[in-house]
Amino acid sequence: MAQSLLKKKKPVMAENKTEAKPTVYDTKKLNLWYGKTHALKDIDLEIQERSVTAIIGPSGCGKSTYIKTLNRMVEMNPEVRTTGEVQYRGRNIFDRNYYVEELRTRVGMVFQKPNPFPKSIFDNVAYGPKIHGIRDKKILKQIVEKSLRGAAIWDEVKDRLNENAYGLSGGQQQRLCIARCLAVEPDVILMDEPTSALDPKSTLKVEELVQDLKKNYSIIIVTHNMQQAARISDKTAFFLNGEVVEYEDTNLIFSNPNDKRTEDYITGRFG
Amino acid sequence: MGVRTNYETELQNLKGDIGLLSSMVEEGFNKAVKAIVIRDYSALEEIIDRDEEVNRLELEINENATIMIAKQQPVASDLRKVMAALKVASDLERMGDLTVDMAKSALRMDGGLEKNQFKNQLMKLAEMTSIMMKEVLHAYERADILRAQKIAAMDDEVDDYYGDFLKEVIQTASGNEAEDMMQLAFIGRFIERIADYCTNVAEWIIYEVNGRRFDLN
Repeated sequence: MAQSLLKKKKPVMAENKTEAKPTVYDTKKLNLWYGKTHALKDIDLEIQERSVTAIIGPSGCGKSTYIKTLNRMVEMNPEVRTTGEVQYRGRNIFDRNYYVEELRTRVGMVFQKPNPFPKSIFDNVAYGPKIHGIRDKKILKQIVEKSLRGAAIWDEVKDRLNENAYGLSGGQQQRLCIARCLAVEPDVILMDEPTSALDPKSTLKVEELVQDLKKNYSIIIVTHNMQQAARISDKTAFFLNGEVVEYEDTNLIFSNPNDKRTEDYITGRFG
Repeated sequence: MGVRTNYETELQNLKGDIGLLSSMVEEGFNKAVKAIVIRDYSALEEIIDRDEEVNRLELEINENATIMIAKQQPVASDLRKVMAALKVASDLERMGDLTVDMAKSALRMDGGLEKNQFKNQLMKLAEMTSIMMKEVLHAYERADILRAQKIAAMDDEVDDYYGDFLKEVIQTASGNEAEDMMQLAFIGRFIERIADYCTNVAEWIIYEVNGRRFDLN
């Protein structure tokens, strides 16, 4: 009866859905086991291109395992067994005739701890293109500059390209790793807690960079920092005990989540 | 014990401050109605002066809520509670301003309402609004959305009653009485606006609880 007293219903701001974009990854009923441990359970997740998708959840919930599945890095562990499908651009990446090298060229990855090679700044970025057979120095130079600019670090390193990458600060090293990733022109960038080893200023720089990169790339980011997920992502998936509890527009997740477990996690009641 | 005990305490303090603000506004309104009827000059002046305290408490609530947002970075229902507190505090402050407007209009009138033919009608309008105020503030305290939703129906009754009251006042207004009747009509209008702010508060209660915005007005 009380409902009938409500004359007019206004839309909620938080429910302004983001426009639907083409799907880059479509995960269907994905299950994953490490030996006997069931780490991912019936994951159904559709990830849109040119957007930032955040994966959040407490430690051990399967979020890192999930993104490492997207470039099949998880298979480095011989005990891993999977069922279900992960379609990348319409093709199941678990198909026998799917070349994992091809997948990893299209899908770059940035890790928690910056991991530059013990080489010069220039060679770090030129490494990927060289492996892909680019030998022309002029073209390599162009790629290096474009990638470093893309990762918002060009101005800081342009006069010291031949110096060892280990001389850079942590934040600079992480952006260098992003530049190295961009140099092979990927389609997707996976980021596994890319700022958790960085100071606040470097963190903000990487966050701004992510916002910029999503114009051209699809970004999937695992983060422990909830405010970071809220700040930079378009959609957020909340993982718990290997399951996706809720996957929604970030605005909705952080203003009015559907599931009580999501609410409890993001408001710091557990985890 | 919950993980965010400090935050819970701060939220409770915020709600407590709103409770204090609402009792100040409610008390001011009820006193103003009485003072208007018996034309108690000093009581009317006091009501105008005490608005400062209402304004100060509202500012304090705003500041505390801002600090909570900055330091605790609340999300979801935690954030909605703080946002609702901010909005409710602002609506209460406006109710306080309208009470001051009522007192000022009464001071501009030549005579009191003791012998005025509209005395009972004005008192009835004020009583209906006073009940709404009490109801909505109870609903806010307990985050009771069913109670909040009933406020809309109460506001409709106030609107209808005010419409009839205004019509009659206008028809009577002439000659020497015109100025007094105009002020009386203003007072009625201010009371009706206070009832509207009660429905605003009701809307914020619904928002706080389920994250949805309804227009109850």
